[in-house]
Amino acid sequence: MDIPSTIAGIILLLVIVGATYFLVGAGMMFYALIGVIVGGLLIAFGVHFVPVGGAPAAMGQAPGIATGVAMLAAGAGLAGLFGGAWAAEQGLVVAVITGAVGGGLMMAITCMFVTFIYVFGMGIPCASGKVAKDPITGDTQTEYKSQGTEGHGLPFVSYVGGVIGGLLGGGGGTLIYIMLLDVYKEALPGMMKALPAQVLPIAVSLAGIFAVGMFLVNAVLTAYNITGTIEGPHDPKFKRFPRALVASAVASALCGMVAILIVAM
Amino acid sequence: MTVKVEVVEGGIPHNTIMAAGLVASVIFIYLTYANVLTGTQLFSFFGGLAAVAAITWGSHTIKHLCSYGIGTGVPSAGMMAFGSGVIAMLFATKFGVASPIVAVVLAAIIGAVLGFLSNNVLNMRIPVMIQSLTEMAIIGALVLMGFAAMISGSFEFNPLTAGSVTILGLSLPSYQASFIGSSLIAVAFMLGGIAVQHPFNACLGPNWTQDRMLTLAQECGFLSMITAAVMSMVFLSFSAALVSVIVALVGWYYTYTKYIELSKRDAAAWLDAKPIPELEGH
Repeated sequence: MDIPSTIAGIILLLVIVGATYFLVGAGMMFYALIGVIVGGLLIAFGVHFVPVGGAPAAMGQAPGIATGVAMLAAGAGLAGLFGGAWAAEQGLVVAVITGAVGGGLMMAITCMFVTFIYVFGMGIPCASGKVAKDPITGDTQTEYKSQGTEGHGLPFVSYVGGVIGGLLGGGGGTLIYIMLLDVYKEALPGMMKALPAQVLPIAVSLAGIFAVGMFLVNAVLTAYNITGTIEGPHDPKFKRFPRALVASAVASALCGMVAILIVAM
Repeated sequence: MTVKVEVVEGGIPHNTIMAAGLVASVIFIYLTYANVLTGTQLFSFFGGLAAVAAITWGSHTIKHLCSYGIGTGVPSAGMMAFGSGVIAMLFATKFGVASPIVAVVLAAIIGAVLGFLSNNVLNMRIPVMIQSLTEMAIIGALVLMGFAAMISGSFEFNPLTAGSVTILGLSLPSYQASFIGSSLIAVAFMLGGIAVQHPFNACLGPNWTQDRMLTLAQECGFLSMITAAVMSMVFLSFSAALVSVIVALVGWYYTYTKYIELSKRDAAAWLDAKPIPELEGH
């Protein structure tokens, strides 16, 4: 961890939060920024759990789901976001939990079919290369691991990690969406001089596209942190998550400030 | 992971492409302002050309960044560009005529912060990281603004959010029938995001050539422009949308044939395999 840069990042975060407080005051908009930052942190932490395998996994030479973080985040996280958006009228807690369940469900289905294809399509067993025993089931891994590979397939712990990552990512994305939606529903009628029901499509669309943008920024920053691939929560790379949290908090704060100022200025 | 695996040999230097892309894109976006000055919608197609210019520049920036082996796959760079670009672009639309300039400046600030975070906080240590992510955010903002200007005829916040629907010959204001209200911005997001990351993803490798990748980038840009032109029929007059479709189709056909030619030039050998072989005697 690069200490001076991390401190500079934290100072930047405080400056952005302070500037927003100075510009919009301690109202709903300021709490929305805090919500956006929390949502960004959930996404960044969640992506660390997801078993991202990349191209080596597609060739059966490394464990994980055979695609990149950007695709997995767009698939699982946005599925959760859309699920949560349906429940937006039920209140914050219900919507965030619905989003989390949507993301977790999407990852569970993805992991299941990935395992089907690995086992029955490619004919490879699931074995981790990073640990000798599966931390959850206690199954030994080395006997099943082919020589010259880093493991292959999707071990049980990676499956569980994927579902946890989907839960956190879906919940975080929905939190960002709900926070921005509340701000826009409140501020847009006055700004555009129209009835709240008339500007609702604008509020939903703006909050949705901002949530998608922030989701992708946070997911790609986390992908940079794990240099593209990770096996799941048992991977040594998982321990790098503190610096991703710092980066994600700063990025979410900056993007959230711009997204809130669009109606505050 | 700071080993540079490929070098740019010969061809146009990156800074020239960057300057040309930036200037061309901003000028083309401003040319759509002729709509307001002349009171027609015929100049909307310049927005699509702005997007093509920015996408061409973007593919070379991705080449510049991803030749260091960042390990996350080429598409992630495109997603990062549009994730940060959309935020800058939507905020900038509030500034009226100055929108494109504000979009460039704001996107540069967001991109530079993201570059600092990736390079220093996340310890990527790639020499071109900050510059590339700054460029990517500007590209994302310019492509989206270009498509917005092309589809709705304007790049300002009010025309982008307000439309009208005609019911029984009566024209009623409707916020749902607008570029942002109908979420067409999400379609523009993906049209641009895929067009910007595809060229390098398709052309990378030991026999990468610059002109082939840039031609493919233009081809992808025009392909997205065709879709955007079709969508613009909802908001623009039929003649204006038709001009956009024709410009996009002509541009796509020209760049596509040129790309096929360049692919044949770079290939070791090629065989014109017909998709469905005609069998005789059956």
